[in-house]
Amino acid sequence: MVPQKSRKRKAEVAKAPTPEFESEDELENGELDGILSQSDDESIDSDDELTGSGEEEDETDESELDEEDVSEDDEEDIREQMRNLKTSSEPILRRKKSKTSDTIPNGTEEPANDENGTSSTLGDADTEERFGSLTSNYTVTTDANGNERYIYKEIDPVYDSDDSDAPATTNTIGNIPLSFYDSYPHIGYDIDGKKVMRPAKGDALDSLLDSIDIPKGWTGLTDPATGKPLELSREELEVLKKLTRNELPEEGYDPYPQMVEYFSSKTEIMPLSSAPEPKRRFIPSKHEAKRVMKIVKAIKEGRIQPYRPPGERVEDTDPDVKRYDIWADEAPRPDNVHHIPAPKLPPPGYEESYHPPPEYLPDKDEKETWDKTDEEDRERDYLPKDHDALRKVPGYDKFVKEKFERCLDLYLAPRVRRRKLDIDPESLLPKLPSPDELRPFPSTCATIFRGHEGRVRSLAVDPRGIFLASGGDDGFVRIWELMTGRQIWSARLSTEDAVDTVRWRPGRDTCIVGAGAGESVYLIVPFAIMSPETEDASREILDAGWGYAASRPTATDGKEPAAKWARPGTKLEDKGVLVKVTVRSAVKVINWHRRGEYFATTSPRGQSSAVAIHTLSKHLTQLPFRRLKGMAQVALFHPSKPVFFVATKNTIRSYDLSRQELLQILQPGAKWISSVDVHPGGDNLIVGTYDRRLLWHDLDLSTKPYKTLRYHQQAIRAVRFHQGGLPLFADASDDGSLQIFHGKVVGDLMENATIVPLKVLRGHQVKSRLGVMDIDWHTREPWCVSAGADGTSRLWC
Amino acid sequence: MGARLKKKGTTGAATNYITRTRAVRKLQISLPDFRRLCIFKGIYPREPRNKKKVTKGATPATTFYYTKDIQYLLHEPLIAKFREHKALGKKISRALGRGEAGDAARLEKTLKPKIALDHIIKERYPTFVDALRDLDDALSMLFLFANLPSHTHIPSKTIELCQRLCLEFEHYLIVSHSLRKSFLSIKGIYYQATIQGQDIMWLVPYKFVQNVSGDIDFRIMGTFIEFYTTLLGFVNYRLYTSIGLVYPPKFNAASDEAGGELGAFTLEGRAVVTQELNGQGRIENGAVNEEATAAAQAQADKIAAQQSADIALPTDEAQTDMVEEVTDGIDTFETTGADADILPQPQASSSEIASLFADYTFYLSRETPRQPLEFILKAFGCKRVGWDSILGDGAYVTDESDPLITHQIVDRPQIASEATQSNNGEGVEAPVTKLLWPRAMVPGRTYVQPQWVWDCINQAKLLRPDIYSPGAQLPPHLSPWVKPKKGAYDPTVPLEEQERVGEADEYDDDADVPAPIEGAADQSQESDEDVIEGESDEDDVDMDVASDNSDSDSEDAFAAAADAAAESDFEGFEDEESEDEATKAQIQHQRELEAEAAGLPAPAAPTPLSKAEAARKKHAKKQREEQEEEQRNKMMMSRKKRKTYERMQYGNEKRSQEAEKIRAKKRKLEKGKQTS
Repeated sequence: MVPQKSRKRKAEVAKAPTPEFESEDELENGELDGILSQSDDESIDSDDELTGSGEEEDETDESELDEEDVSEDDEEDIREQMRNLKTSSEPILRRKKSKTSDTIPNGTEEPANDENGTSSTLGDADTEERFGSLTSNYTVTTDANGNERYIYKEIDPVYDSDDSDAPATTNTIGNIPLSFYDSYPHIGYDIDGKKVMRPAKGDALDSLLDSIDIPKGWTGLTDPATGKPLELSREELEVLKKLTRNELPEEGYDPYPQMVEYFSSKTEIMPLSSAPEPKRRFIPSKHEAKRVMKIVKAIKEGRIQPYRPPGERVEDTDPDVKRYDIWADEAPRPDNVHHIPAPKLPPPGYEESYHPPPEYLPDKDEKETWDKTDEEDRERDYLPKDHDALRKVPGYDKFVKEKFERCLDLYLAPRVRRRKLDIDPESLLPKLPSPDELRPFPSTCATIFRGHEGRVRSLAVDPRGIFLASGGDDGFVRIWELMTGRQIWSARLSTEDAVDTVRWRPGRDTCIVGAGAGESVYLIVPFAIMSPETEDASREILDAGWGYAASRPTATDGKEPAAKWARPGTKLEDKGVLVKVTVRSAVKVINWHRRGEYFATTSPRGQSSAVAIHTLSKHLTQLPFRRLKGMAQVALFHPSKPVFFVATKNTIRSYDLSRQELLQILQPGAKWISSVDVHPGGDNLIVGTYDRRLLWHDLDLSTKPYKTLRYHQQAIRAVRFHQGGLPLFADASDDGSLQIFHGKVVGDLMENATIVPLKVLRGHQVKSRLGVMDIDWHTREPWCVSAGADGTSRLWC
Repeated sequence: MGARLKKKGTTGAATNYITRTRAVRKLQISLPDFRRLCIFKGIYPREPRNKKKVTKGATPATTFYYTKDIQYLLHEPLIAKFREHKALGKKISRALGRGEAGDAARLEKTLKPKIALDHIIKERYPTFVDALRDLDDALSMLFLFANLPSHTHIPSKTIELCQRLCLEFEHYLIVSHSLRKSFLSIKGIYYQATIQGQDIMWLVPYKFVQNVSGDIDFRIMGTFIEFYTTLLGFVNYRLYTSIGLVYPPKFNAASDEAGGELGAFTLEGRAVVTQELNGQGRIENGAVNEEATAAAQAQADKIAAQQSADIALPTDEAQTDMVEEVTDGIDTFETTGADADILPQPQASSSEIASLFADYTFYLSRETPRQPLEFILKAFGCKRVGWDSILGDGAYVTDESDPLITHQIVDRPQIASEATQSNNGEGVEAPVTKLLWPRAMVPGRTYVQPQWVWDCINQAKLLRPDIYSPGAQLPPHLSPWVKPKKGAYDPTVPLEEQERVGEADEYDDDADVPAPIEGAADQSQESDEDVIEGESDEDDVDMDVASDNSDSDSEDAFAAAADAAAESDFEGFEDEESEDEATKAQIQHQRELEAEAAGLPAPAAPTPLSKAEAARKKHAKKQREEQEEEQRNKMMMSRKKRKTYERMQYGNEKRSQEAEKIRAKKRKLEKGKQTS
């Protein structure tokens, strides 16, 4: 409504200005006048600016600045006033309501209103006229706050109404050079299609005159739009000049003004929103509690460690140091067929030496050809060179490159297995265990047992490894303490016969010695050397058979019994010799079954009764062979299977006891077998012969010996395997020496036994061409004992 | 109902192999990651037996892998790590792009996935011996990198780790005396150790700045180093614990800083003491420490025990004799009969070699390479190695004039003798200078060049030091790994013993002429001799052809050429020869007749050939006969067998030619020596 009113008013102004003003006076209580006068001043100012004289420019600038300075202060004042207004007269408030007003206050001074309020309206008509002609498009009124307000005229929507500053005549030829119209009298067309004529040009004299007194703003250029000489005002020139210099075009323009914080610089008294605080601001957050609890739990469980400075953490765990054995539970894995291990680099030859033999050095031709050939075609990547001292050897410049190429080969080169034709025969040889791996074995004589008169024929270490029993030519059986060499027990079994063999019954719970002297075998429980319990147990075992023998009908078929089991007599019985078994001919060898229930005796001269098996619990003797080919030398039991070995002079036969049949006949190729022993594993056999040979038989391999060893000068009397798990065996010979061997048997059938000679033990003296008579191993330790013909026994460890 | 037709390319070679590109795509990792994975897992390309079957007819130059290998890689936990790493790389680059350097650093520090190769070690080497078997390359690489400066791809921490691991390994070798051989080559120093029956050989470069130039990709080497350091770490742990040492040994950073190297480590554990007992029980160790006293105590105990045993029993003289003889080692066995088997025995026991240098005190002069000498001397039992303090920390003595020193290793030329004499003249009263050599020699001390040490250990005995005295012409240093092969030249044996019969005569009078094998150079020489030589010349040419061919690498090509030469040349050749001989006789006869007719004395037969030519001719003839025989035999063989035989012959021939060449050189040298 208001703009319309004002427009009407404006229209009226054109006709009759005075009454309109009067009506206005009525309405607005003459306050307007002051404003009008004020605006008048302003309009004049602006007028000045428009007409723009050079001298005035500075002044206007100053005034503008002043105004700006003032305006800030004014704002304060206006607010002050607004506060005052609330309490002031009612009509003003009402006016404020009725008339919508601009909130942004203008920089006009309120006191001025009061001053001019009563001023006369005499010059009103003049001012109005001027006002109307110059600022025809707005009127100034007062708004509700009493500030001046510009009310712009309604725009009359006629043609040309929007471009008020468009020049009256415009050339419409567009952006083409004006030279096209040089030959025409006109220079283009105006908007109505009429020719715009070329302005008349003065003649030469005029132009000369023009050049003499250059008019203000003369540029010498022609305005292409009008064809008239282009004139630029001084300010315009100044602006152009500044633009060319890249300066700010306008004087006094501040490109970086202080920021005015319109909204945040002041603390508001009243809240922007009067909504009450939401409840969630007062109660603790569930979500946060959840997250805190998560962290608490992690700390409790130790997943989150308390903070430690980073330096410390690095110190205590260096990941590069390996602190555990990755092969602790190693299990060999069969190699994949497709896996081809990287070939190792060949070892260096003579020519790679820093100081090779001179014949390996290249001569001139070779050097030349080497230099000429391409690097990749060279047979070897260096030339042999001689340095007569180590200090003269330079660094090898291709070292890193060679290693790099090796790396490339390792992961880039396809690997192919090639058959190699010339195989180094040495590569087929088995690798020997290192000497350290062969240890332990006996090497020194630790104890000498003296006491026997004449030869010591046989000896044995008891199953516990504490005592040593020996029997000799003097008919005595003596028992010694192994470690100290002290004799603790002795008994004379026979005055005329030598004790040929002494063997302990296996098993740690008893203490029984079997000794063969002449045709009798004595079973002895030596008195007072063992604990009473052991002794009792031993006696019980021996005595158990008496009753059995008594109950059995003896010699029913009139045949002579295989053996006579009897008590040896009180004198011996007091000593502990409890049983005497008399067979038909002289017993040379006794061998116990592993359980101690049976023992086998061998009497080489006794034809059909040469081999006898005795059952201890029944006091029973059996002759397993009706007729034996050859002279029986040794008979012994297999360590784990029910197999029985009988060695005659030339062959060794093995029998299956359970099925009562012949299993195998081994032919060692020996002339006279002296002794035989079975490996604890049961698949290997060693044989000692009087013709100085030691033979190793692999029972699975062949009936012929796997190895034949001849290291002795004289006959071999005894051979013996270590029974306690060490891969050792030894033989004793008439040349007075013992030889110790390493004999390792591997479980799998693919690999043969490894035999390495270890040690010759010398110490026994040869008496009447007899050296060492018997040998035995300690049950656990790598110690062995030997019986010598010189009347001593020795412990080697 | 016939059998269902099988589709082509669904079984067999076509599916057993996979190209690298396909493998990478299958694993969904980048090529560098694939490379790393292959290096870690020890997967290498394969050469299909029939490429066409694999590639469906095409034969491009591609690398193939076993499909199974790649399938097995699919489950590798390392792949996940690689992916994590890639993700982290993206995060870091994003942070850097935003200019958040601190963030990037934090990300790298906290999120960087740590790649552990432990499981791979266990997988690739199920048993410890397997790992030992594969230690050659690892040691060579690690010893190289221990001597290299750090690099963008090889951080200095890795270099330090390499150094530490190498020194630890050396310490094990010293304590266990498992070093066997060593060799000074122009490339570096080779070492060989035997651990648990496995021969391990590695090469250590001389201490010089290495030439790192050209196309060496340190990322690949870095990957290998990463794997090898892990491997050697575990191996060291196992080795140390197996002899009762604590791993890791104590490391003295200050000593290392001062160049202590081996001396910067202190071994701990019970075994040190026992080892002392076994190996060097009788040495009164100069360095007074607990170990020595413990050893002495144990020694004393042992003696006391022995004595008490002796007291318990009356001794006879046989016994006392025996005591002296008794040794701890293995006796040598000699067979007494002819029909017996000979059992191999390990040569010298390790304890003997281990105490090779045990009784001596060594002093290393400034100019000698300290590290290898220290290591070798200690590995062979020497406890007291001293050196000039310039060479670093950890010396037993640094004073050269110390009277304890028995051997000094010197690598300097001898200085004029009068200086030494004058100094000697002053005697003991002269003020003791710190550096004696070369101005004076300490009487009673042995001066040797470094090569002496190497030659001693390779021959497992102490050699005469006078041959190796300073300034002396050293004997040639020979590789301990070359086994004398049939037909190959052996420098340790005098020339006469390995020559063919009459070989020396062949080259007798043309000592100045280079050996005929050297080819084109002497061609002209021979053509000069044509007049005299006659038929033997052509034979030589034929030999040249053969030797030229032998240079070519392709065996088949050679075989074919040799075949051709032998078959085509040969018959014609022989005919020509016999003709030649016949015509010669005829001409001779003709001349005689002519001369007779003219009444002149009969012209002498062409000058009798010199001894050398005769020999040469004889050899040629013999060779020809052999060739003929061989040719005849070859015809009887099947084609396959012939090929095999030819290949064998090729190798043999090459070797014998090489040997002949060297023999010729040697002969020439000996001649030169005799004349001069």
